[in-house]
Amino acid sequence: MGAGLTAGCGPEARKLVGRGLPEDLEPPKGPVEVPLRLANRLGFGPRPGDLGRIEKLGHAGFVTEQVAADHEEPLHLRMKARSLEIDQFQPADLEGWPEEYVIRQLQQRALLFAIYSPNQLRERMVDLWTNHFNIYARKGRAMYRVSKDQTEVIRQNALGSFPQMVKTSAKSPAMLGYLDNTVNRKGVPNENYARELMELHTLGVDGGYTQTDVQEVARCFTGWSIENRFMHAKGQFRFDPDSHDEGAKTVLGQTIPAGGGIEDGERVLEILTTHPSCARFVAGKIVRCFLGDERLPWTDRLAEIYLLTGGRIAAMLVPLLESTDLLDGPPIVKRPFDFLVSLLRAVDADTDAGAGLQAHLDKMGQPLHQWPMPDGYPDQAGAWTGSLLARWNFALALTHGQVPGTHVDFDALGRRTPVRDLIPASRPAKDVEDDRDHLALLAMSPDFQWR
Amino acid sequence: MKRSWWSCDGRGFRSEPPAKRPQPAALESDLPSRRSLLVGAALGAIAWASNRSALAQVAFDPSSRDRGVLVVVFLRGGADGLNIVVPYAEDAYYRSRPSLGIDRRSLVDLDGFFGLNPALGPLRKHYEDGRLAILHAVGSGDQTRSHFEAMNAMERGLPDVRQGSASGWLARHLSATEPASPSPLRAVAFGSIMPDSLRGGTTAIAIESLQDFRLMIPKGAAAETIQARLRDLYRTGSDEMAIAGRETLDVLDTLNRLTPSEYRPSGGAQYPDSDLGQGLRQVALLIRAGIGLEVAALDKGGWDTHVAQGATAGWLTYLLEDLGRSLDAFATDLGTAMKDVTVVVMTEFGRRVAENGGLGTDHGRASMMMVLGGGVLGGRVLGMWPGLEPDALEGPGDLPVTTDYRNVLSEVLQRAGKVDLGSTFPGLEARPVGLFG
Repeated sequence: MGAGLTAGCGPEARKLVGRGLPEDLEPPKGPVEVPLRLANRLGFGPRPGDLGRIEKLGHAGFVTEQVAADHEEPLHLRMKARSLEIDQFQPADLEGWPEEYVIRQLQQRALLFAIYSPNQLRERMVDLWTNHFNIYARKGRAMYRVSKDQTEVIRQNALGSFPQMVKTSAKSPAMLGYLDNTVNRKGVPNENYARELMELHTLGVDGGYTQTDVQEVARCFTGWSIENRFMHAKGQFRFDPDSHDEGAKTVLGQTIPAGGGIEDGERVLEILTTHPSCARFVAGKIVRCFLGDERLPWTDRLAEIYLLTGGRIAAMLVPLLESTDLLDGPPIVKRPFDFLVSLLRAVDADTDAGAGLQAHLDKMGQPLHQWPMPDGYPDQAGAWTGSLLARWNFALALTHGQVPGTHVDFDALGRRTPVRDLIPASRPAKDVEDDRDHLALLAMSPDFQWR
Repeated sequence: MKRSWWSCDGRGFRSEPPAKRPQPAALESDLPSRRSLLVGAALGAIAWASNRSALAQVAFDPSSRDRGVLVVVFLRGGADGLNIVVPYAEDAYYRSRPSLGIDRRSLVDLDGFFGLNPALGPLRKHYEDGRLAILHAVGSGDQTRSHFEAMNAMERGLPDVRQGSASGWLARHLSATEPASPSPLRAVAFGSIMPDSLRGGTTAIAIESLQDFRLMIPKGAAAETIQARLRDLYRTGSDEMAIAGRETLDVLDTLNRLTPSEYRPSGGAQYPDSDLGQGLRQVALLIRAGIGLEVAALDKGGWDTHVAQGATAGWLTYLLEDLGRSLDAFATDLGTAMKDVTVVVMTEFGRRVAENGGLGTDHGRASMMMVLGGGVLGGRVLGMWPGLEPDALEGPGDLPVTTDYRNVLSEVLQRAGKVDLGSTFPGLEARPVGLFG
């Protein structure tokens, strides 16, 4: 049923599988339909009407459109986003607001944009970078600061400059607090930020740095903190020269002379973001996001582009997204966020993305901004096998109007497009008469768990 | 102070009874209370067992009923072994931790050399009764001091992450010892995300709450048709999600016969209302239900105490109070049934000996492990203590690893019954730790 849904296990299908998956497990088989694959990979799956539009644009045309990311956001999305108070207040002014209220709005914003923005590739990159520069909103005052971090670090640079993203992140109060740099002081350094900056943000654990480098980088960042003095702009980045270790340092073999002040940290960020290991690490991350594994030729090629362009993300994305490897590669498992958003898009749901919806995301194991460790939510299929029951229950609740704040108009949907075209399922459920049950089963199927 | 010691003899390795380590307090010191506790436990078990006659019909290989149950509690973030099991006889400990060092008078003395963090007070009786053993200076060969590399190594049962299989050590253990018709609840991870240790082609399942583990079919939906078609959808398919779907359906069938809400812990056990406490309560429930549970994996996060770690108050205390109360409730609840159950508490690495500027500690190397139940010859702190003087430390000032964590796990698995160490810990050079005498 639907396009491209024959249960295939011939040599063609066989060719598609078996790469990048542990042991002898195989992803589901089936010929890949181009517009569906593009909608699933570049964004969070098609809404009614999207597949026809993508077909008309063509593969390259759709990539060009998405990389430009210049669609105006629809009015209803702008209205909904504008009603979120987290964007109207400075972090310091949010302090004291109820925790759950702030975290709900953080998730609301991420969900609303992923569901409704026509700039789907940007939203996919926002998800990738949000996890790359993960911040646990429930640590200390992070929840009040994450919104600004999302806007200024992640969204601002999602398709732009990776080095700029790292540099903005290094001065982001949310990150400085989360990775304890606020207590990284002369004589009593704290290594947390220094280590994760190299391991998770830039070089990767195999990037060629040592424990000594971690300690030296920590010294370079002493004094990078958050303003908390009376009569100053509370909660902003502040370099405190009194806490800064002014001695000379050596980072990755390069000498950073004594007396550099704030420039020590800036020099480190320069060294790291222009390092070939950083290019490879970021390239690998992007390749894994779009192809499901870190295929070497692509990682090499993107790393080269990173070094040539000074880390322009869009420049790395274009050749990868335009390639046939994007169409031919094995499916990638949807994380719960991906699953939930793609289902809401497929049925054109009207949602406030509030507590009712978020409760389901929580049950599936991916409440946004709430992964405690700095590495972000896992992207391996094996991590998410435990979320199936919660996915099934969401599909059932959504299709039967039992998700508070979320509504699916089945009459309108039936007139506009056959929903089953948007949701591949290899085995039809012939004796299921009710549209809602039918739709629920499509979303519960193994095929819909992959993109 | 540099000191080597092993706590067991007669195993062909160096045995040096510690001069300063007296025998633990009399093993039977609180016998009366313990006895009444066991009676209570047994009564509780019978009461609940009578509520589950339908369970007897659950079909799984009866041989797995004889297998022990292994419960793995992973402390994520690198738990500070030095402030959990404190080497209070070391001057260097207090010198390195002027703010974080715990005064010896506050500690629960273990053996005249080590003392237990007072927040773990509830574990004292289990240690004194000989059910709890502690290992110190344990860890992996991972040198990166990265959470993710170190966890990866441990969960895969490898010396470090740069070699060996991609599957988890528990997954390999389960595969190597799979009975003819395995219980769908043979291995359970409590949480919404499958830990690496259970990944890689096993029949493990991740469950957050047994009570909520239900297919919620809304009123008005064709319940029977939906269930039948759902089963059809997952009948074939060899991808991870299809396999997981079949397992989920099997588990649903099994759990439908249980009524988790009716479970009443025995022996007056009071589980904390934390994820760990409630997770262990559910493990106890599954053990009591006798449905073939062999491995349970639980996580407790938050141990990455770079700041605000505290000495006898603070973040670490908060975490340890929950750990101690949860383990105590579990052991109390299961009572005599603990003889077939082994709980292992582990963490990816320990923390720097010297405190940092934020009243916390940075990533280090060795930490401690705890093993509770299962015939453990407890009441002892095992391992080889390298000392805390600067020349004994590794790298930036870290406690070196003198016991490979895999040797601890091997002994636990061997004790639990059927085991294939070759596939679970390939290439491991076996060095007895002496957990079970």
